[in-house]
Amino acid sequence: MMDTVIIDGLSFALPLFIIAIGGIYSEKSGITNLALEGFQGFGAFIGALSAVLIANAFNTDIQSLFYVALLFAMIGGMAFSVIHAVLCIKFKADQVISGVVINILALALTTFLTTQINALVFGTASDKFQLGVSERFTIEGLADIPVIGAFFTNVYPFEVIIVVIAIFAWYLLYKTKYGMRLRACGENPHSVDAAGVNVLKIRFSAVLISGLLSGLGGMCFAYSISANFSSSIYMGYGFLAIAALIFGNWRILPTLAACLLFGFAKSGGSFIAQSMALPSSFTDLFMILPYVLTLLLLIFFSKSNRAPKALGEIYDKGKR
Amino acid sequence: MSKDKIKRSLRYSLIRPISNEKWQPISIPLVAILISFIAAAIVILLIGKNPLQAFYNLLQGAGILPKASYAGYKSMLTDFLSLLNAMTPLVFASLAVAVAFRAGLFNIGVSGQMLVSGFLATIIVGYSGLDAIVAKPLVLLIGIVAGGLMGGLVGWLKYKFNINEVVSTIMLNYIAQYVISFFIQMYYIDPVSRQSQYVSEAARLTLVNVEIGNLKMDIPLGFILAILTAVLIKFIMDKTVVGFELKAVGSNRKAAKYAGINVGRNTVLAMVISGGLAGLAGVTYYLGYFASIQPKVLSSIGFDSIAVSLLGNSHPIGVIFSSFLVSTIEQGSTYMSSQAGIRQEISSVIVGLILLFSACGVYMKYKVSRLKEKEANRKESEA
Repeated sequence: MMDTVIIDGLSFALPLFIIAIGGIYSEKSGITNLALEGFQGFGAFIGALSAVLIANAFNTDIQSLFYVALLFAMIGGMAFSVIHAVLCIKFKADQVISGVVINILALALTTFLTTQINALVFGTASDKFQLGVSERFTIEGLADIPVIGAFFTNVYPFEVIIVVIAIFAWYLLYKTKYGMRLRACGENPHSVDAAGVNVLKIRFSAVLISGLLSGLGGMCFAYSISANFSSSIYMGYGFLAIAALIFGNWRILPTLAACLLFGFAKSGGSFIAQSMALPSSFTDLFMILPYVLTLLLLIFFSKSNRAPKALGEIYDKGKR
Repeated sequence: MSKDKIKRSLRYSLIRPISNEKWQPISIPLVAILISFIAAAIVILLIGKNPLQAFYNLLQGAGILPKASYAGYKSMLTDFLSLLNAMTPLVFASLAVAVAFRAGLFNIGVSGQMLVSGFLATIIVGYSGLDAIVAKPLVLLIGIVAGGLMGGLVGWLKYKFNINEVVSTIMLNYIAQYVISFFIQMYYIDPVSRQSQYVSEAARLTLVNVEIGNLKMDIPLGFILAILTAVLIKFIMDKTVVGFELKAVGSNRKAAKYAGINVGRNTVLAMVISGGLAGLAGVTYYLGYFASIQPKVLSSIGFDSIAVSLLGNSHPIGVIFSSFLVSTIEQGSTYMSSQAGIRQEISSVIVGLILLFSACGVYMKYKVSRLKEKEANRKESEA
């Protein structure tokens, strides 16, 4: 019982977390990123597409292509994020506008291409790529510990990948020269420039990282919650990730806490609804739990919230 | 003429149409639209269809050009009226985004505000059996009040607790979606359609199947209101103190504060107006274009409107034109898909491309002014 809440909560919170880390990279460098939703969807599209194409060409089982799909999803997410980077950095477009446009374009393009490719390559009239749910594993021994054991039970492989990448991302952002410069770009880009570092390059790379991580997160959702790729991937996970990172005050560890809160409130809500044996429409009422909780907590914690100083500002060398 | 000179004059003639700064707010979006149709034409060519025919079908489907044949009681006029019917909520929603944007706020919560006001109007008036003369104004009133309150809540949370409006509107969107889905499924569900029960004709803001001559048409009453509202918003923004203060807060919060403008009050006010407009979008959508609510679905208008409003430069009158364009493409897509055999989803791709290229507008402007400067410098040095 408690275990299912932890298991389901974790498998939702971690993909959300990795998308949010991407958002932190981008926003810490000074680029507002509302495009996470589009990145995760487009990444998942490329991942799912490559999985079904390879499975079709080599007659392999789609389950075994899990890691291939993750890799391609990261590449896809990154490739799509180039649009945001070019628009915001080279074309000096409004970053909020660019983000919204990218979300709309991602939804439109992937839905169109999914049906088109299904018809052309597979000869079927379908608007989704069937993937199935990824296999899970349990670490014997550790899983037997009460309560904590749930963290090692029925784990999706992607959860491990996410934890590893997240630790690396944390190290990169807070402990390296690159990370320090990136964070400085979001606070005072002119000082970074004065130190002889190319602000635009750093921001460009930060947006690409956000695309890469979002693609990974999106693919994880496709392989767990939805078990396929379709337009239902655009459920607002990207926006939830943005909420989590703002809630976490643009820092990685508090953002993890926010994501876990979402995850556990979500799984906890549906667990309560199930255990009380209420009619299915009541689940809807419990589904609001994570969102209400966030709003309430924000009321207490938002006073000290502070966005990166140069967030959303177009970098203009001449302006001091 | 040297090669260099040809290149230069070619470049100059390319930017010529958008070089007049006075016309740039109009000419740049037009160029963006043109480029995106060229891009869409390439996509259509790639899948082996005729783009010109596709665009022609698009206009036919939207009721702007005549079709070859019509079903009984239908004509170009009825098609055009359904276009206006579909466009009405989009105009209101885009105005909502535009007002907030002018005040430096970003209202992602339009869908949620639409849903709440549409739902309240549905259960209070839609199922009441009131006469049309009372019901219709009441629907509008509930729309404005419910949306305004919800928008005001967002503004208040920002002003009082420093809660970023992007986060609070996203949270409220989800909460509205689930809570309303619960109530619909418990009390108002129609077992056949799996949606909320239909509202009464009297409460609907669109008169459906009105027989005039030998035609049956849908008359969207909200459309006239939408146009009037756009004009009113333009008046408020350009000619009143309220509008001036909102814009001042939007362009520079600190400067506005030093000038003695109450930033907090204006934040709340901007969100109340924005929410009220979103509420009007909600009632014209759920009690106009549709007559029922699908549970657990947020209308995509809320997000489309962000882009539509930006395409219209967040200008109330510009918004009318951009809504018209986007609605035309989406309304015409069904007919295009049946006639040209191109998937309907291409219409959203076209809209996406238009938005993408219009987001580059600032860059075009910048490039044009750079080229003009260069040209002026060159002439000076030659002279």
